Amino acid sequence: MRQLSRRDAMALGVVGAAVTFFGPREQASAAAKEAADQITKFTGGKTATSGKVSIELPEIAENGNTVPLSVSVDSPMTADNYVSEVLVVADGNPNPGVATFQFSPLSGKAEASTRMRLATTQNIIAVAKTSKGEFFTNQKLVKVTIGGCGG
Amino acid sequence: MMRGGFLAIGAGLGLCVVGGFVVAGAGAQDKKKEAPLEISGDASVRPWKRYAGWPARDGSKWNTLAQLASPPVPKTPRKLAGAITGDAAKGANLVADRNRGGSCLACHVMGPAGGANLPGNVGPDLSEIGNAGREDEYLFNYVYDPRVYNPETVMPPWGGHGLFDDQEIGDIVAFLKTLKSPAAFKTELDNPDKRPAPVEKRENLDPIENPGMWAVDKAQDLWKQAGVAGKSCQSCHADAKTEFKTWAASMPKWEPRLNKVLGVEEFVTRHAKATTGADWLMETDENRAMSVYLHFLANGAPIHVDTTSAESKAAIERGKALSSRKLGELNFACTDCHGKSANHWIRGQWLGEPKGQYDHFPTWRTSLLAIWDIRQRFQWCQVNIRADELPPDAKEYGDLELYLATQNEGQALSVPGIRH
Amino acid sequence: MAEKPRLKLPKEAKKGEVVEIKTLLPHIMESGQRKDKDGKAIPRKIINKFVCEFNGKPVFTANLEPAIAANPYMQFHAKVEESGTFKFTWTDDDGTITTAEESITVS
Repeated sequence: MRQLSRRDAMALGVVGAAVTFFGPREQASAAAKEAADQITKFTGGKTATSGKVSIELPEIAENGNTVPLSVSVDSPMTADNYVSEVLVVADGNPNPGVATFQFSPLSGKAEASTRMRLATTQNIIAVAKTSKGEFFTNQKLVKVTIGGCGG
Repeated sequence: MMRGGFLAIGAGLGLCVVGGFVVAGAGAQDKKKEAPLEISGDASVRPWKRYAGWPARDGSKWNTLAQLASPPVPKTPRKLAGAITGDAAKGANLVADRNRGGSCLACHVMGPAGGANLPGNVGPDLSEIGNAGREDEYLFNYVYDPRVYNPETVMPPWGGHGLFDDQEIGDIVAFLKTLKSPAAFKTELDNPDKRPAPVEKRENLDPIENPGMWAVDKAQDLWKQAGVAGKSCQSCHADAKTEFKTWAASMPKWEPRLNKVLGVEEFVTRHAKATTGADWLMETDENRAMSVYLHFLANGAPIHVDTTSAESKAAIERGKALSSRKLGELNFACTDCHGKSANHWIRGQWLGEPKGQYDHFPTWRTSLLAIWDIRQRFQWCQVNIRADELPPDAKEYGDLELYLATQNEGQALSVPGIRH
Repeated sequence: MAEKPRLKLPKEAKKGEVVEIKTLLPHIMESGQRKDKDGKAIPRKIINKFVCEFNGKPVFTANLEPAIAANPYMQFHAKVEESGTFKFTWTDDDGTITTAEESITVS
């Protein structure tokens, strides 16, 4: 595994410096709009009900390079009632898409954990689709720490 | 020398003849053999060049751990001709500008400045300083060089060291005068006094949790790699697990042949060169992997370095003195952040005490996707406070590392660590 | 083939048990956002898909975007009704496929 220079790492994952990296508010709302578009595409325009989806995230991420994420959906995961897909978006990243998880009754649980790169403080939004064609959603704010003096 | 004892050791460990060295028993007082070391040359790249991604600032005007260069401390505040004028809006931006060495928000809550977004609390909350009845000239001088009012301050001399010019300080003063009500934090987490201290809970020895564990695998391969002399580490150290069960926890150590304190990384460079012929300079991937591995083999062992010999004592005294030397344009000593200001926030980062800051090195750094050993950590701290770093094998770093090790006496090693 | 994947899952389970699986693949996950020293954008090169199958049937699939951190880590579950083999597949943007397998005894 090769080592990255600090500047490389800063560009890869943006260590703090939220304001200078993303500049004006327009860019922030462009990301939010793109995130909303991805959700609309996922649900086919249907409304997602708040609930059933749990998102586990640190309240403050020590840096944006590796932020642990856990998404779980309350579901029996039986052949006639299971979560088929979960979309995760980050509404403050230049490319808001994070991942799409696909489950089946063989999954046992509609739960997945991974690690994300976050450019700035933002909301993580998860939308779950069930085999019955229903959509559920939840979101959580994660603050990406601003470094003290770059250390 | 106790002949019987020597023979027993010789028979038990076997005599290695490597690269012309006969590794014989050392002096009468040593039960172990003296490890061969390459005494000549440096253990890191010369001339030392700063890492490409690090700020390229020239720190030659300021103190380093190896030289004194910073201007003297003024004895009295400046007497300013005329009124101090400034633009409060500009001041509001300056105090939140991370490109200016902080700036102020790194240590102070300051009302609405920077959106009250994760300010620090090393210094007092200045949100109501506009009501404190301070003269403009006092505020100006405090920012210009606080040492004239508080010789023990950790605050940088923003004007005295040229970080802000007089007009900018005037802008900052104008802004300070507008601060008349407590900061409105968006969430409790933004309030440094309410923010819970971070606790490291990750399973640092789980390879799935800590990518740094790659170094253990790599080192195990390097261990068996034959060098130019046809020998590998394995040739003399077949049972690494047993042999090095506590070794790393006894490092760093005074090395009389080099007249300096040797840390694990420099030991690896010089010992490898003198035995297998391997060229593993400090801060190369191979060296880092070996350092991780040698510490890893001693995981759980309590850190316990020699504090009894005259040389060790002298080195520890030097290290202690170096830890309180003010360095760089920002004029910080190790003890400023990790002593006086320990357990406080600089912006969103927690300042730790020395105890607990050594036992997990070398560590994986999640923000950089890289393993850092303690010398690289020292170097970065220096560059961050706008001081020139020294080459990793600088004797001053050895003294400092030995002092840091004494402050971590009894801490169990847990390497590789995983940190920001 | 990329670096060796790391896997963590139980060797045995009871019929019908839901087991936890952790996987990690060393991979830089080049996001496409970084610039090289000449200011040119470094092209994106990530693992864009991860699939876990059990005895040939999909158990868990993840379509990944550049926001997934380097050294992609996935933790998920599988309900096992019979003994068999888990197969894990990572697909790189450049088409490289990395696979790993692990058996489990189910009684």
